[in-house]
Amino acid sequence: MNDPLEHTVETPGVETRPRQRFELEDTGFDEVPPRFRKFYRRWRGPGDTLGPNEVICPVCKVVIRSTRELRPGDRVYCMPCMSRLVIVRGEDGRLEARVAY
Amino acid sequence: MADFLAAYSIQNWLESCPQGYLMGTVYGHRPGEEEPAALMENEVLREEAIRTTVQLVVGERCALAASSGLINAAPDEASKRFLATQTLDEARHVEIFTQRLLDLGVPKKDLESTIQHFANPNLVKFAEVLLEKVDKKDFVAGVVGQNIVLEGMAFSVFEMMYAVSEPTNPKFAHTLSGTIADERRHVGFGENRIGSLIKEHPERKPDIEKLQKEMSYWMLATFADAFRNNPARSEWKRLEGELTRSGAHAQWHGADLFTMEPEEMEQLLADTVLKEFKIRLGRIGVEYQTPARP
Repeated sequence: MNDPLEHTVETPGVETRPRQRFELEDTGFDEVPPRFRKFYRRWRGPGDTLGPNEVICPVCKVVIRSTRELRPGDRVYCMPCMSRLVIVRGEDGRLEARVAY
Repeated sequence: MADFLAAYSIQNWLESCPQGYLMGTVYGHRPGEEEPAALMENEVLREEAIRTTVQLVVGERCALAASSGLINAAPDEASKRFLATQTLDEARHVEIFTQRLLDLGVPKKDLESTIQHFANPNLVKFAEVLLEKVDKKDFVAGVVGQNIVLEGMAFSVFEMMYAVSEPTNPKFAHTLSGTIADERRHVGFGENRIGSLIKEHPERKPDIEKLQKEMSYWMLATFADAFRNNPARSEWKRLEGELTRSGAHAQWHGADLFTMEPEEMEQLLADTVLKEFKIRLGRIGVEYQTPARP
């Protein structure tokens, strides 16, 4: 399995609709082997926005992308810095990743 | 933890780095790229580029000594193998920045004397604090000093230099982009490995906090020397004025570096690095210590 989304969590009663699916294209991110490149992209700064299948790695600042919508409790893997992360809902309502040591 | 350490394999490193973003590069940049004529023909700017590059060589020599020295202090085989790949990364950084000194016109026979002449004494102190821990085979303090403090600083410094170089010096920008990619792995190892070790050894926190405070002070003193009373200040302002008029920008952390005074750039860099230290150390359960301001 190449997708950085390693483990999903479905919380009963919180989110009942199926997860959205996404077709990913290579974004030119060359810091991982070719077969993994579509799963990462560079953060383009303050004007950039994250999709529902994306989250920023807090360790190396790369955007991690999945073929599936991300939700709180999911576990994702950041290959450029090799961190394992847990998705949480931030204070501003957006998805954030926390490092799992 | 086993899964995390398993990711640090030589195979992963080979596929990502030499067979990945470094494929086809020559000393880190694209074949045929050269330092810009506007830099080589301006003695003030050329000397400033040499001074800056010397600091990179000094920092990377320290990182090479630290990462190689920590291999035998590492408590597990996977960390030893990761540090072996990091040692090669750091040796490559020393080599590419040394090559840049030669490209900037430093004669080979004058290389060491040039490095001695321009090396910032505060950066040398910064290195000494770290290497003292490495010499004592103190793995926890060594990795915090190397992979969180030194690499965290290098990560931001290289990104800032990349923002300035992208519109002005593609050769140097390409050299830097490979080192930034390397730093991602290094800071990742620092946080993840120490994040788990600090849970096992909470008694080490005061030592680590003291180390971070001391290294941060020497880092700020190095930044102060680099930005304040810079001999190339007026030449840089003239060049930045020309670049701005031609529509060029150097965006970094929401600011256009071409429109900033050196003191403002120093403040932005220092604040960015210290904020990152605070966040990274907080994540691994270490309390950030505010350093004195030089």
